[in-house]
Formats: sequence, structure tokens, C-alpha cells
Amino acid sequence: MSAAAAGAATDAPVFSVRNLWKVFGPHAERVPGGELAELGPEALREEAGCTVAVRDVSFDVRQGEVFVVMGLSGSGKSTLVRCLTRLIEPTSGTIAIDGEDVCGMDKGALRELRRHRAAMVFQHFGLLPHRTVLDNVAYGLEIQGVGKAERREKAREMVAKVGLAGLEDRRPGQLSGGQQQRVGLARALAADPEVLLFDEPFSALDPLIRRDMQEEVDRLHREEGRTMVFITHDLAEALRIGDRIALMRDGRVVQCGTPEEIVGSPADDYVRDFVRDVPREQVLTVRRAMRPAAAGEADTGEALSPTTTVADAIGTVARTGTAARVVDGGRCIGVVDHRGLLGVVAGLDGDGKAAA
Amino acid sequence: MHGDAAGPPLRSGPEPHGTASGARRPPGRTGNEVDRVSTATSPARPASAAKAKQTAAGAPGARPAADPAPGPDVDPAPGALRALWARPAARKLLVLAAAAAVLVPPAAMAWGSGAWPHALTVDLTGPLGRANDWIIDNRDHHWLFLYFFGHISGAIIGAVHAVYTVLLALGWAGVTAGAGLLAWRVAGVRVAATTLASFAVCGLLGMWVPTMRTLALMIVAVAASVAVGALLGLAAGLSERMFRALRPVLDTMQALPAFAYLMPVVLVFGIGVAPAVLATVVYAAPPMARLTALGLRATDKGVLEAVESLGATSRQRLLTVRLPLARRELLLGVNQAIMMALSMAVIASVIGADGLGDRVYQALSTVDVGSALAAGIPIVLLAIVLDRTTAGMASPRRLWAGAPRGGTGGHKLTTARTRRATVRFATLAAVAAAALVTGDKPWPGDWTVAIAAPVNDAKDWIVDHLYTGLPGIGGTADLAGHYTGWVLDPLRDGLQGLPWWGALLLVAALAWLIGTWRTALTAVLALAAIGVLGRWDVSMDTLSQVLAAVAVTLVLGFAVAVPAARSPRVDRLLRPVLDVFQTMPQFVYLIPVVALFGIGRAPAAAAAVVYALPAVVRITSQGLRQVNPGAMESARSLGATSGQQLRHVQFPLARPELLLAVNQAVVLVLSVVIIGGLVGGGALGYEVVFGLAQGDLATGLVAGAAIVCLGLMLDRVTQPTKAEKKGAGA
Repeated sequence: MSAAAAGAATDAPVFSVRNLWKVFGPHAERVPGGELAELGPEALREEAGCTVAVRDVSFDVRQGEVFVVMGLSGSGKSTLVRCLTRLIEPTSGTIAIDGEDVCGMDKGALRELRRHRAAMVFQHFGLLPHRTVLDNVAYGLEIQGVGKAERREKAREMVAKVGLAGLEDRRPGQLSGGQQQRVGLARALAADPEVLLFDEPFSALDPLIRRDMQEEVDRLHREEGRTMVFITHDLAEALRIGDRIALMRDGRVVQCGTPEEIVGSPADDYVRDFVRDVPREQVLTVRRAMRPAAAGEADTGEALSPTTTVADAIGTVARTGTAARVVDGGRCIGVVDHRGLLGVVAGLDGDGKAAA
Repeated sequence: MHGDAAGPPLRSGPEPHGTASGARRPPGRTGNEVDRVSTATSPARPASAAKAKQTAAGAPGARPAADPAPGPDVDPAPGALRALWARPAARKLLVLAAAAAVLVPPAAMAWGSGAWPHALTVDLTGPLGRANDWIIDNRDHHWLFLYFFGHISGAIIGAVHAVYTVLLALGWAGVTAGAGLLAWRVAGVRVAATTLASFAVCGLLGMWVPTMRTLALMIVAVAASVAVGALLGLAAGLSERMFRALRPVLDTMQALPAFAYLMPVVLVFGIGVAPAVLATVVYAAPPMARLTALGLRATDKGVLEAVESLGATSRQRLLTVRLPLARRELLLGVNQAIMMALSMAVIASVIGADGLGDRVYQALSTVDVGSALAAGIPIVLLAIVLDRTTAGMASPRRLWAGAPRGGTGGHKLTTARTRRATVRFATLAAVAAAALVTGDKPWPGDWTVAIAAPVNDAKDWIVDHLYTGLPGIGGTADLAGHYTGWVLDPLRDGLQGLPWWGALLLVAALAWLIGTWRTALTAVLALAAIGVLGRWDVSMDTLSQVLAAVAVTLVLGFAVAVPAARSPRVDRLLRPVLDVFQTMPQFVYLIPVVALFGIGRAPAAAAAVVYALPAVVRITSQGLRQVNPGAMESARSLGATSGQQLRHVQFPLARPELLLAVNQAVVLVLSVVIIGGLVGGGALGYEVVFGLAQGDLATGLVAGAAIVCLGLMLDRVTQPTKAEKKGAGA
């Protein structure tokens, strides 16, 4: 799916984040850019009683893409996503949504932003236990002042969309975790926001349910092409649904790129260690395995698109017994054979090849 | 939902406050549920904090250079001292001993070592008496009274009278049917039946009119205290600063005996219905404020954040999320306010509230146990009905009721609703009819049963046969005599013989060991204030009664709680008994003890023990039962005997609950010991009663202030919870 969505993504960023800092503690504002910023976390806590959650982070979220922020717990990713709509007030830096400065918004403008443009789905759902599923989904519209009949109709539609039709009159307490998160999703969708923000939405769910929900999000993204910012600590989840991934460590973005870039060209040892157990052949594409076509090879053999994964290419090559062509826009840009594909699986492909 | 998070609910009956372990006091006990949340959510905290302190203190021991105490040439001493220093308790005592060594000799030299030195007292009776005279002289024409207090007083009297008139106009059938219907609506059919029966009994006992008077006073007082409490709670729930300012005030107010509230209102308003209602409101509002604030503050942070992320305004957050989610606490607060108000409305008969309490008061003053019982039974019934009804309202089953368990069920729901509505309408019509037929009529006179005479006969029989001369155990009068002669008198003489600085040191040491230096300081200052007020000896008398009764309560309470925590069957048997005992106003307990023990300090102590026992049993057994099952299991798997499990696992892990039980025992016992002044308990309680009866307000006020100080001191000495705060605040 990465490929399809990446094609849909245009270049205008939805969110544009520059030099964002979030420091918790007394006099937090003196940390960014000052001498204190050079200190390690322990030293900073000793010295100033402050903790840096987000450290000088910059990135763009493009229209229509799924932007994943991933990192281990305590890496600052949840703080980062809350800064986007100022649920947590950033310490310094700029955030723009469609070119509009978020940090400069007054209360009313910010409320409008939260009501209409960016909706969030939470790890622990955040549903109102005293309301029915339908009223929970309609809640966002209710506080916008939408009339009862209209908002209920809209909510009913959203409940059906996330596959909960028939459960409208239950309370959240009577639903399973997966169903509750579907309610959370429907509530976020009901306001028809421009961006969906997910804060580890599936971490509290069982593995099987989690897979269902990932497919659900995938489906919604394919159908509606909505921009999504997705926080997770699960690398497999990040690779599965992300168009681009920002990997965070200690508040810093250590690498930002497509899944292929992260797995294929780790920026440092931390990232390398992180992605070590990833089945490379399922993430990397034939671009990394191909070599320039020798004479005559450009016209024979199976044709593969450049976005084919190595795993699929291995299937093709094994079946046909010969090298396969990589064809982009009707032009052969290279060929893959046993040797190149196995090299990728074995991790022998150098970084230089990716550029080729 | 918040209370349950701390541990499994104790009882699944209709009353949600089953999870409450006890109370800061009277029926008010449910207030503790939320109290308990704050203590119980971090049971591991004090232990780990103590451990951290220990290791921190151990470190300097390893580096002799950092150790200030011992010299290098003394060999065994440094080790012993260092070992002592390593224990936080011993360290506190050492510091205190050092301070005492410096301060005590000059103080003892200057002012002697007997009771509180006369040189350090301030006689307030003169100025207070003059203030009282001024108020009496100016009550009719000073603007303060004409335009402020006068209006308050007039409004209260008017409101009570209006409610009373309505109750009378409804007639006995109208009131009974209306109350039954209300109970049915909010708490179910069983409570409704209890309500009907209770009102019938009130009528049968010939107490219809006093019951209605008490009810009218209650309705006005509860409405006012719920309004005041909800407003204060709203402010404290929304503003952190307000919460910090209010919390210690509310905590202290809940720890003070009811009697302490009477004198100030009497000073301003004199004797009558208005001051009685005001005292009741002041007494009943704190739990409502407290529960409202805690409920609002306990809103699930995740839900609040989610709602904020949807762009809700703060008003919308309050109305659509925080208040609905705090509904259980709000209803519990109403329940608490009602129970506290009943308790106070009965006691306020001392300052002119008429109704049931007045009947009991009058009867007790002539030791007419029969009449006292005839008025006491309606009080108990009223308490049970009010508690069950309001608690039923707050039960989780009814809170978010109406949600079908399976399937959509929307249709079923509506039919059920229509059916219920029909039933209700029919009943309402019946009530109206009953009111029309019997309207404006009190309970018919020939439908009453006079129980006073037979009860007094029974009491005479008790006097003749049980008071003394029973083989083996003596008699109740003998028991009371022994208790007074062998326990109370030596204890009182001991306390009064204690040098004043010794008492201060003792209180400081105890309070500091259990709590923090702040609680210790408050306790010492409160005790010193008693001395300054010139009520040292009398307060030591009261203190001796409290200490003896607390000791008895704790021994009995632990003896009952340990088996109750062990065996579910004992617990099941005990639970309904505790429920009933915890709802009764303190005043009622005086009636049976006077029948059994006559007049004096011993019956007051007996009433105090019986009153405090249920709370102690409940908190203790709940604390023991909540001990981490993993720890218990591992102890069992290592082959610990049940005694070892109790000593090594349950008691240490349940330490916060056990300390809370002690604190509750002290607070509850004190409140009854003070009321014991009405049945010959003497000491501070008697001075208040005497002041009221003789119109000598100055004496009463000083005694009331001493009661406040004593309550404050006893509460702080046994206050274990505050220590955790500092770590959390950092």
C-alpha cells in the first residue's frame, strides 16, 4: 500500500514542524538553544530539574500520507503528537497546519482546529462511560452545536463505517477493547477532520484484534486518502502502515524516511539495532537487489514493478528459474537474479546500491 | 468507580458505600471511601519511602567522615549510635530528646513541673462574657443583627415552618405514601417497604409530630448544606489553589466533635431553630464539599484529554464530562450530608431544635429510659430509611441503568419505561387521594402504642437484677464501678499528674513517629492552646476517658476484625450489623447505656466504644483482606503459619489501614465522650452543657474551644497519611 498512497501524496505539507522542543520542569523555556540543551537527561534533571521530552524536532507531514512516529516508551512520541494540536503546549519551535501557525492561535481558533481539522484517537480510548456508543460518536458534533437529529444520523453512519452497526445503544463498558477503539475511531471520523492523529491506538489490544484494526485503518486510508499521523512503539506496525517513518530516541528524531530507507539504510547503530530482526525481504524492494541489465536481458524474463518486494521477486525468480526485469513506465531499469535477491536477504547489499 | 479502583468492593448490596470502610465520624462514615482512596492507592508508598530513607541514612554510616555524632576514640558507642541513627524513628526521637534537653530545664525552672502553669494561661471568660452581653443587648437594634443575622434567622425559621406546614397538610398517609414512592423510585421495592414500615412505626410510637418536626428541619438543613457543599466542592474541584486551601479545613472540620459547633452559633443567634439549622448546615456541608471536589478531580484524565482534543470548551467539559462522571461521588455526598445532618439535628436539641432529639434530651435528663427509647427508635428508623434511599440512588446498578445487557433492546427499554411510568402515575394518584382524605391530620391518637411504661419496667428490672450481685461477673453497675475506679481514675490522675512539658513532649514524639513534623507541630500547639485556655485539668479528664475507651475499642475491634478478614462467613454475618450500627446518630447510643449502666463516665465510655467499634472493625478487616494476594500466597508457599502470615505480611502491609482505624477510633470516641456530658460524663462535654443550660456562654465557649483543640490534637497525633505528599509534589 505504501506505493499507492505515496503516489497520492502531494508535496504540500499538512503539518510542518520546525525545531520543536518540549521541556517539562521549572523554567523550561531556558533549556532550548541554551547551554542546558547540551546536557544529558540525567545531568539536566540534576542541574535544572527539567526533562526534555521533545528535542529540536523538525518534519513535514504530506497531504494524504500515513506518517508514523515510532520509538520506545519514553522517547517523546506521545508528547510530540499532543504538541501538534497543543494538547500539550510546546516549549519552543513552530508548528504550521496548511501553512497556518498553530502556536500563535488563540483559544477560539485552536478549538476550531481541534473541532474540524485534526481529530485524535487515544490508546485508552477516552470514551464517556455514561453515554451510549451512538452518543459517544456524536459527542464531537454535539459540542460543535450540531442539532440532535443531524448529529445522530451522522454518528450512525460512522458507527456503520467502522463495523459496529447494531451496537449503537450499548455503553462503552459493555464492549470489547477492539470495539471500544472502533468507537474512538468513529468519533474521530465523525467531525470529518483533515488529519487523523493516532496515539498508540492499538497497543492496548490483543495481537489478533490489533491486526484487524490495522487493516481497518489501512482500508479507511485507501478509501478516503485522509492524512494520518500515527504513533506506535511497534516496529512491525510502523512498517506495515507507514508511508514514512520518523524514528525517535530520547526526544530526538534519529531517522526519518520510508520503511525501505529505515530498514535498508539505517542512519546509525541504534536504528540498525532496532531493525535487525525485521525480515528485510518483506520490506525492501527490488530496487535494492537489481543490477544494470546486461545485453539482451532487457527484453526477456518476467517484468516486475520497482515497488515489488524482494520476497515477491524471489517467488517469481524461483518459479521461472531466470532473472526478472524491473520495469518502470515501460522502460527496463535493471534486472534481479538469484544472486542479487539473496544478497539482500543476507544483508550483503551495501548502501551504495540503493542509489543505483 | 474511583473507590473500587483501590480494591474490590466489600459488599455488593444496594449501598455503594459498602466499599467505604468507615467514616471520619457518625453516619458520616462513608466520607471515608474517598478518604481511603487517597490513603489506600499508595499503600506501598510509606514503606518504600522509609526504606529509601534507611538506605540514605545508611550511607553516611559507611563513611565515618560524614557521620557527625560519634567521636573516633569511643569504640562501641559509635556503632550503636550509628545503628540508632540509621532508623528514622530513632533519629526523630534523638532530635526530640536533644530539643527537650535544651528547652525543658529552663521552662521547668520558670514555671514548675506540675499541671499547665497558671502564668501561661489567658482568661477568656471575661471578654467572652462581655461580648455575649453586648450581643444580647444589641440583638434587637444593631444593624448587624437587623439587616444580616436577623434576615438569615428569619429566612431559616420561615423555611422550616413552610416545610412543616406542607408535611402536616399532606397528613400521615400522604407523607408515608410519598416517602414510600420516592424510595421505590430511587432505591427499589425493598427500601420502599422499609420506608413504609418505618413511618408506620414512628406513628405507632406516638412520635408522628416530633418526627415531622425533625424531618422539616432536616429538609431545610440538607438542602442548604448540599447547596453550600456543592458550591465549595465545585470551586475546589476546579481550582487547585482552592483545593489546597480548603482541604485541611474540611479535614479538620470532619474530625471535630459535633458539640464544638454548637457554641459559636448560639453566641450569635441565641437558642432556637435558626441556630440549630445553621449548626447542622456547617456540620453537614464538609462531606458534600469534599466528595464533590474529589469526584470532580478524579475524572479520568484520558477522557478529559480526549474531550479536549475534540475542541470542547471548559464549560462543556464540566457539564458533559466532569459532572456526569462524578455523579456517584455527588450522590454519596448527598447521602453523607443527610446522615451528618440527621446526627446533628438530633444533637442540636441542646440548643433549641425541637423534634425527636428534644424528646430524647428531655427524657435523658430525667433518666426516663422508656420515653427516650420511644423517641430514639424513630431516629434510628429515619436514619436507616434516609441512608438506604440515598445510598440506593448512588449504587452503580442504578447509576447508568437502562442499558440493555445484550442485543439492542431499545424496544424493550421503552415498553419497560412506559410500564414503570404508569405504575408511578397510579401510585401518585393514590398518594394524592390519601392526602386528600387524611389531609391536615396527624397520626390518629388511638393508633399508638405506649412503650415508655413497659420499657421503664424492664429498666427497673435491670436495675434490680443486673446492676449488682450477679454470681461470677458481678453486675453492670459493678462493672461500671470497676471501670471507673480501676481504669479511668488512675489514668486521669496519671495524666493530670504528668508535668505539662512532659505531656507536650509525649504528644510531639507520638505525632512525629506516626506522621510528619507538621502534624507533630500542630498537635503540640493544639495541646498548648488547651493549657493557655486554662482547661488543662478538665481536658486531661476528657483525654483519659478517650484513651481508655479507644484502647477498649481497638482491642475489641481487632479481635472481631481478624476473624472477619479470615472467614467470609463471619464477614457476611457481621456486615448487616455493621451497616445498621454505622447509620445511627451518636445521640441514640446514650439511651441503652443509661439503661444498663446508669449515669456517669462508664456509660459514656460504653456508648463511645459501641459507636466507634463498627468503623474500626470495618476498616481493619477491609485493610487486612485487601493485602496483596501475591504476598500472601508466597508467604503461604514458604510454609508460614496463619499467625506468621498475620504478623509478617498482613499487619505490615495493612499498616495504613490500621493507622486509619486508630485515627477513626480516636475521632469517633471523642465525639461521643463529649456528648457523654449529657449523661454524667463530666469534663469538657459537661461544661458545654452547663454553659448552655445556665446561659453562661463564656464557660461554654471556652470549653468548646478546648474541645476543638483536643480534637485537633488527637486527630493529628494519629494522622498517618500526610507523609506521602512531599514525594509526590516534587
